[in-house]
Amino acid sequence: MFDRRLLTSFDWGFAATILGMAALGILTIYSGNTLATSAFRQTLYLRQVTWVCVGVGVLFLACTVSYRNLARFAYVIFGLSLCLLIVVLVLGKVGLGAQRWIRIGGFTFQPSEFTKLALIFFLARYFDDHREELHRPKVMLLPAGLTLLCALLVLKQPDLGTALLLVFIALAIMLLLGLHWRYLVPFAVGGGVLTPLLWAFLKDYQRRRILVFLNPDLDPLGASYHIAQSKIAVGSGGAFGKGWLAASQSQLNFLPMNHTDFLFAVLAEQWGFLGSLVVLLLYAYLITRGLQIARDSTDFFASVLAAGISAMLGIQVFINVAMVLGMLPVVGIPLPLLSYGGSSMVVTMLSLGLLLNIHMRRFMY
Amino acid sequence: MRLKSPSAPPLQALPLRLRRAMLCVAVGCLVLLLRLWYLQILEGDRYFTLSTNNRLRVRAVEAPRGFILDRHGEALVENRPTFDLYATPEDVVSPAEAAMVLAGILRMAPAEVEAKLAEGRARPYQPILLRKDLDETMMVAVEERRLDLPGINLRVRPVRAYPSGGIAANLLGYVSEVNQAQLQREEYRDFRPGEYLGQSGVERRFDAFIRGVDGGEQVEVDARGRALRLVSRTEPRSGANIILTIDRKIQEAAEAAFAGKKGSVIAMNPTTGEILALVSRPSYDPNLFAQRISGEEWQKIAGDPGHPLQNRAFQAQYPPGSIFKLIVAIAGLESGALTPETKFHCPGQFYLGNVKFDDWKKGGHGTLDLRGAIVNSCNVYFYQAGLRVGIDEIVRVSRAFGLGEPPGLGLGDEAKGNLPNPQPRRRGQPNWSAGNTVVTSIGQGLVVTSPMQLLSMVSAIANGGTIYRPWVVKKIVSLSGEALEEYEPEPIRQVGVKPETLAFIRQAMLGVVEGGTGARAKVPGVLIGGKTGTAQVVKKGEEKRQADWKDHGWFVSFAPMDNPQLAVVVLVENGGFGGQVAAPVAKAVYEAAFGKQPTQQVARASTPPAKEAEEGD
Repeated sequence: MFDRRLLTSFDWGFAATILGMAALGILTIYSGNTLATSAFRQTLYLRQVTWVCVGVGVLFLACTVSYRNLARFAYVIFGLSLCLLIVVLVLGKVGLGAQRWIRIGGFTFQPSEFTKLALIFFLARYFDDHREELHRPKVMLLPAGLTLLCALLVLKQPDLGTALLLVFIALAIMLLLGLHWRYLVPFAVGGGVLTPLLWAFLKDYQRRRILVFLNPDLDPLGASYHIAQSKIAVGSGGAFGKGWLAASQSQLNFLPMNHTDFLFAVLAEQWGFLGSLVVLLLYAYLITRGLQIARDSTDFFASVLAAGISAMLGIQVFINVAMVLGMLPVVGIPLPLLSYGGSSMVVTMLSLGLLLNIHMRRFMY
Repeated sequence: MRLKSPSAPPLQALPLRLRRAMLCVAVGCLVLLLRLWYLQILEGDRYFTLSTNNRLRVRAVEAPRGFILDRHGEALVENRPTFDLYATPEDVVSPAEAAMVLAGILRMAPAEVEAKLAEGRARPYQPILLRKDLDETMMVAVEERRLDLPGINLRVRPVRAYPSGGIAANLLGYVSEVNQAQLQREEYRDFRPGEYLGQSGVERRFDAFIRGVDGGEQVEVDARGRALRLVSRTEPRSGANIILTIDRKIQEAAEAAFAGKKGSVIAMNPTTGEILALVSRPSYDPNLFAQRISGEEWQKIAGDPGHPLQNRAFQAQYPPGSIFKLIVAIAGLESGALTPETKFHCPGQFYLGNVKFDDWKKGGHGTLDLRGAIVNSCNVYFYQAGLRVGIDEIVRVSRAFGLGEPPGLGLGDEAKGNLPNPQPRRRGQPNWSAGNTVVTSIGQGLVVTSPMQLLSMVSAIANGGTIYRPWVVKKIVSLSGEALEEYEPEPIRQVGVKPETLAFIRQAMLGVVEGGTGARAKVPGVLIGGKTGTAQVVKKGEEKRQADWKDHGWFVSFAPMDNPQLAVVVLVENGGFGGQVAAPVAKAVYEAAFGKQPTQQVARASTPPAKEAEEGD
C-alpha cells in the first residue's frame, strides 16, 4: 500500500546530496584518467556511470519495501554473508594479489562489502531482541565473537581494511548502546597480547605498509612511494586546487589506484583545500543526518540500524581520507559513493536507501 | 527468535550517546581538516614544487665552444660534429634483430650489442649510448637501415677539432671533462659532471668566454619516464671566438724547424709584446682529449718524464749561458766600468787566484774590445769584465730587464727564474766571492731564466728600452661579430738604460750574425741581430756521459736592425752549441716571417762558416 505520507517525508535533500556526490565521483574518475595509457582506464568513468545507475536503482528499491520486512530475515542475511565469505576463500577470483571477488555471469562482486551491511543488520536485530538485557555486559559476548569471526574470514582474503572496519563498526554500535568503555580494556590488553599472532597472519605487503607508515623513509621507491605521491598530490592542490583536468600528479600516473582507494587525492589536487572542505562537509552532512534519523526513530531496531550505517560510513570515510593524507597506513578501503567499484557503490546506496527508508516510515512505528 | 514488536529505545542511553556520536563526527572532520590545512596551505608550495619536479625533466643542450683563430682569422681550434649511436630500449622492437644488423655495421659481436641493449632494460625510456663517434661509413650504413632499426638513433654533438694538426698545443691548451677534484671546488660548483671545460692554456684562461651558455629543454614525463611533450626550450648561446696574436704561417715554420728537438721557440713583436709563435716540445696530441681520454692514454701523458703538458716557454727555466753576457755589457756601459774601447786579453783561460776558468775556444781569442767579445762570445773577456763591473750592478741591470720576475702572460704558473743575491747572507752561509761573480758573468751558477724572460729582455734591447707584457689574445669576438674584448700592448717598465748603450749592443748583435757565432741564423736580405748561448748542465767534461747532460743551446735575436718587427728566442734542451742547433731554427722563423724562400740547412758547404772548427760559447 502506498501511503502519500511516504512521499512527503522523503528526505529530498538527503537524496539530492547522494546523487550529487555520485556524479562528482564520476567526474573525478574521468578527470583523473584522461591521460591514461590503457583503454580500460580511459573508459573507467563510463563503467562508473553504469554502477551509479544501478546504485540509484538500488537506492529507490531500498525505499519501497518497509525495512521491517528485511528485519525479519536479519539472521538469515547474516548467515548467507558468512557463507559467501567462505565461498570466496574457496573459489574466489584473484585480483591485485587478493582473493576478494566472486564472478557471477559477466561481472564480479565483493562479498566483503555486503558483509558490512549484513553485520549491521545482524547486530541491530540481535540487540533489538535482547533490548532488556543491554545493561548486562555479557550480552555483548556473542556479537563480539561473531564479529571477530567475520573479521578473520575477511582478513584471510586478505583484506585488512575491511576486517578492521567490521571490528570498528561493531565496536561503535556497542559503545553507542551503552557498553562502558572499561569493558574494552581487557580487549585492548588481549589485542595487545595477540598482536604478534595477528602479525603472523598478515601478508608481507600488509606488514610493509604498516612499517612504512611508522617510518616513511623506509622504502622510498616502493610502499612509501605511494604515500609520498599521495601527499604530493594533495599538497600541491594548495588552497584552490589546480583546476579541472589539471591534476597532473594523478593524470601522469604518479599516483596508483587513483580511481579507487586514492580518489580523494585526485579531488584534493584538483579542487584544493576548498574542494576538500566541501566534500568532507558533504560527508559530515550525510553521516550526521543518519545519526539524526537514528535519534528520531521510535523503533529500536531502526535506531540501531541507522546508527550502525552512519558509523560504517563515518569510519570508512575517516580511514580512507586519513590514509590518503598519510595519517594511517595504507589499507585497501574505498571512499564510499565516490570511488570506482560496483560492490562498494551498491552497498553504499543500499545503506543510504535504508536510511531514507527508516526516515520515511518513522511515523509508522 | 521471533521479531519483537517495535518499541521505543531506552530513553536515557541512546540519544545521549548519539549526541556523543555527532561530536565524534565533528572531531573527526576537524582532525582531517587540520591535516589538509597542513598539507595544502602550510606545505602547499613545497608540494607543488615536488609535483612539478616529478613531471618535468630538464635536459641541457650543449652550447658549441667558440673557435680559436690566428691573427689573420685562420682556424687553429674549432669544433666538428661527432655522431653517437643511441638506443631507446622501449622502442627497440626486437633486440636480437637489432643486434644482428648493428653488429655488422659497427664491427662488434652481436652478443656484445645485445648485452648493451639489455643493460637499459631497467629504465626503458632512457636512451643508452651504444657507440661514440661513428665514422662516416658507419653513419651512412645506419641511416640506410633506419627502417630496420626502430628505437636506434644518432645524436650529434660538437667536439673539439684541430685543423692545423696539434700545433701550439701547449699554448692553446686542451679541453676535457671536468674531473672529480674540480667538482668539489667552489669555483666549479655550477658545473655538471660530464661537462667539458678548458684545462690549460688559452682554452682554460678564456674558458668563460669560449664556452658559451648552455641551453635547456624542459620535457614533461610520466611516472615511467616516458617523454610526453616538450614544455619549453632555451636555445644555447655559442661561445665567443678568440682571435690570437699568433701568425699560423710563422707558427708552422717554427714547429717544422723544431722537429725532433726538445725545448721552446718564441717569436714576439718587440714593439708591442704580441706573440706570433710559441712552440714547446715535447708536446701532446690534443685530439686525445677531445673525446673522453682513456685512463692509460692519460697516464702516458701525465707520467711522461718529458712533461709534455708543461709549457716550456714560460714554465721552464735554464741557465742563460752566454746570453747573459749582454747584461754584463750593458751594466758595464751604464756604470762606466766598461766602454766600447775596453780591452781584455783572452789566452784561453783565466786564473782567479789558483782557480782556473776556461774559455770554450782553445788557445783563446787574443785581445778583444767589447764588441769583439760579444761577436765572438769570449768567456775570458767577460770573466774580467764581470769582475770589473761588480755583481751588484749586474744584478741591478738584470732586474731592470725583468729577469727574476714572471713575465705576466696570464696563462698559468710562470717560472720566476733566479738572480743571485750577493747581500750579506744568514749566518753560516759563505759570503759572495769573486769566483761567484766570474761564473755569473757567463750566465752560469745561480742565474736561471725562462725563454720568455730572455725574449722580453732582447725585445727591450731592440725597441729602445721598454719591457712589454707578452700577450697572446688580440680580440674576443661574439658570434654576431660584436667585439667583447680588445687588448692593447701594455708596457710594464722602462729599463732605464741610455739609448747609446742599447744602440751599441744592437750593433754588436748584428755582428754576431754577420760574422760571429750566430752566422747560421743569417738570412740574405734581412739584417738580424742575435746572440748565441750554450748553457752547461753539468760540470764540463761530464756532459758526454748522458744525453740529458748535454749542454742547452740558446739563441736570441731580432730583425730587421733598423726597425725591429720580430724578436725570436730559441732554446734547444740538451742540444749542444747554441750557434749550431738554435740559430738555424731562428733563421727558419725569419724566413717565414719575411717571406723569404727557406734555404736548405747545408752543412759546412755553401755559406762561409764562421770559425766552425770550434763553435760554441
